[in-house]
Amino acid sequence: MQKMIEVKHLTKYYKDFKAIDDLSFFVKEGEILGLLGPNGSGKSTTINCLLSLLHFKNGSIQILGREMKPESYDIKKQIGVVFQEVAVFEELNVYENIDYFCGLYIEDEETRKKYVEEAISLVGLERYRKFYPKQLSGGLLRRLNIACGIAHKPRLIFLDEPTVAVDPQSRNNILEGIEKLREKGATIVYTTHYMEEVEILCDRIIILDKGHIIAEGTATELKEHANIEEKITVEGLKLTKDQFENIRNLKNVDKVRFVENVLTITYKSGQNNISVLIEFLRNHNITYQSIFSERPTLNDVFLNLTGKELRD
Amino acid sequence: MTVFKTFWKVVNHYKGTIILYTVLLIVFGGMNMKSNNQMDFVDSKPDVFIVNKDVSNKITDNLISYMEKNSHIVDLQEKEEKIKDALFYRDVNYVIYIPENYGSLVLNGQNPKIEIESTGDYQASLAEMLLNRYLKIQNLEQMAYMEQNELINAINENLGHQASITSISSLDEVGLTNASNYFNFASYSILAVVILVIGLVLASFNELNIRKRTVTSPMPYQKYNFHLLLSSLLYAGCAWFLFCFLGICLLGKTVLSIRGIWYMLNALFFTVSALALALLISTLTKNKNAMNGIVNVVALGSAFLCGAFVPAEWLPNFVLKIAHILPAYWYINTNNCLKEIENLSFGTLKPILFNFFILILFTVGFILINNYLSRRKQRID
Repeated sequence: MQKMIEVKHLTKYYKDFKAIDDLSFFVKEGEILGLLGPNGSGKSTTINCLLSLLHFKNGSIQILGREMKPESYDIKKQIGVVFQEVAVFEELNVYENIDYFCGLYIEDEETRKKYVEEAISLVGLERYRKFYPKQLSGGLLRRLNIACGIAHKPRLIFLDEPTVAVDPQSRNNILEGIEKLREKGATIVYTTHYMEEVEILCDRIIILDKGHIIAEGTATELKEHANIEEKITVEGLKLTKDQFENIRNLKNVDKVRFVENVLTITYKSGQNNISVLIEFLRNHNITYQSIFSERPTLNDVFLNLTGKELRD
Repeated sequence: MTVFKTFWKVVNHYKGTIILYTVLLIVFGGMNMKSNNQMDFVDSKPDVFIVNKDVSNKITDNLISYMEKNSHIVDLQEKEEKIKDALFYRDVNYVIYIPENYGSLVLNGQNPKIEIESTGDYQASLAEMLLNRYLKIQNLEQMAYMEQNELINAINENLGHQASITSISSLDEVGLTNASNYFNFASYSILAVVILVIGLVLASFNELNIRKRTVTSPMPYQKYNFHLLLSSLLYAGCAWFLFCFLGICLLGKTVLSIRGIWYMLNALFFTVSALALALLISTLTKNKNAMNGIVNVVALGSAFLCGAFVPAEWLPNFVLKIAHILPAYWYINTNNCLKEIENLSFGTLKPILFNFFILILFTVGFILINNYLSRRKQRID
């Protein structure tokens, strides 16, 4: 499969601050690559470098097999960008906005008309064609922002945190739209700090922290890499120091956290861990409100790798 | 073409602003014309009180009769307190005290002193002018005539002389004053409509995120800027045409003449300088809220300082000196010159051509500053 993007040893400084540190990765045709990382990890800077919006000190960027430069208009023709900030004209309605941005790529009016209609239906804005941005809710505005970026049917799409600050309904709509784009064969680079979205959408994930890659692979591979089998959370309980120490010494237990009456235990392996824990609590007459077991998330992977939460 | 078309769609969004300033021009330009077409004179006579200490004689009576003819004689009690009150409350503007033996002293070739009291206002000055005129003629004639009747006849004959003034100007003064007033006021509308609308439209196109989207598109940035510049030029041209067309509708043949073409040419140079200023302002700020404030300062400031609302000759010298740094001053100066030049020739048009040259200098200056700031901003971005 063709490599749509190939980045080698990319390094970017903001004055003395190293925002991207020797970054190398590739994106294959038709896949969705998730760039995951907390705020300030270098996701947006990476995207801006890929789009030639920022100069970088070292490294090379190839898109569609050719070096990406500010004047690479042939490459730009095949790229769609949805920035984190909504970029639309206040003075134009939904249709006119999409038509304008699509018009920067497609000159033929008939084709454009068709594409604009398709983009409107893809993001579910059929009822809002004549609405002005000021009349749209935050979620609808984000959908318009996406439609403006993808109406010209690009082969490669950059989506920079497209679901920030949107309502659940709009978020589902946006995610469904991205799924449809994938089905149509688009290659997508998706940056976010919402790990659930990455797990649902992305074929491959790159976790960034402080400008460099700390892990790379599919969601399953990353979780395996984190070496966590199970996580059990007990809410609404009180523990003495001795009881806490006894739990730490239970079979298969890896790490134990007890914060504000919430006990979190991670296990590296084993079966029936939850039964063992319930029995322990009953034997020591420890009451609690709820107990549940879950598979580790990407947040746990990030926590395991960096010692901090993704949303810190 | 998509940038060009969208430019006009965004302009369409601000059509209310364009209509507002056009209506202002029609209303105030029209009002100016109406006030110029009607020349009403109100008969104004000062209120005068005469305290006559002289006995009745022809010389004194002639003076009193002259004052009665040319002013309004007030009837008051000859008490100091009453006279002071009347002056204070402006019931009387001028009090003339004719001394004892005034008539006989004049006949003896003397110049007896007439005392006066005055409110010091315009009406009082008018009364003083009347009295001075009479006394000057009396002093002149008393040297030639010693006989009472001869002297009075000579004074009255001299007072009856009136200068006859005939206007030999071939200019349509009312029409040209109207045209100058209209085009002077148009400076405010041109500045507001060009700077505000172009500023707001370009603020939208230059908004950082929209610019990022444009830079990542296959449209070369130079081409994008060229389309915006072309659209702005066309818009400024439309604004100029609109205001000239309105001028033709309101002023008719005065504008449809050679002199009218000079008025319109002047407006064109001014519109181009306003466009250059609009482009500079849009480089300096992308904030749409600030744009309204800037336009108020620039357009209203120019209009007040340069004589668009109030005739320049009424403004203090220091204000006019400050106004030299604004393009509107040179534009209004040309309009005022066009109103006064008798014959249009290269010689008489020299001051106007100089004003055009200054407007071109302003335009070039704005463009150069804009280029410098744009390049600097690009480097920072």
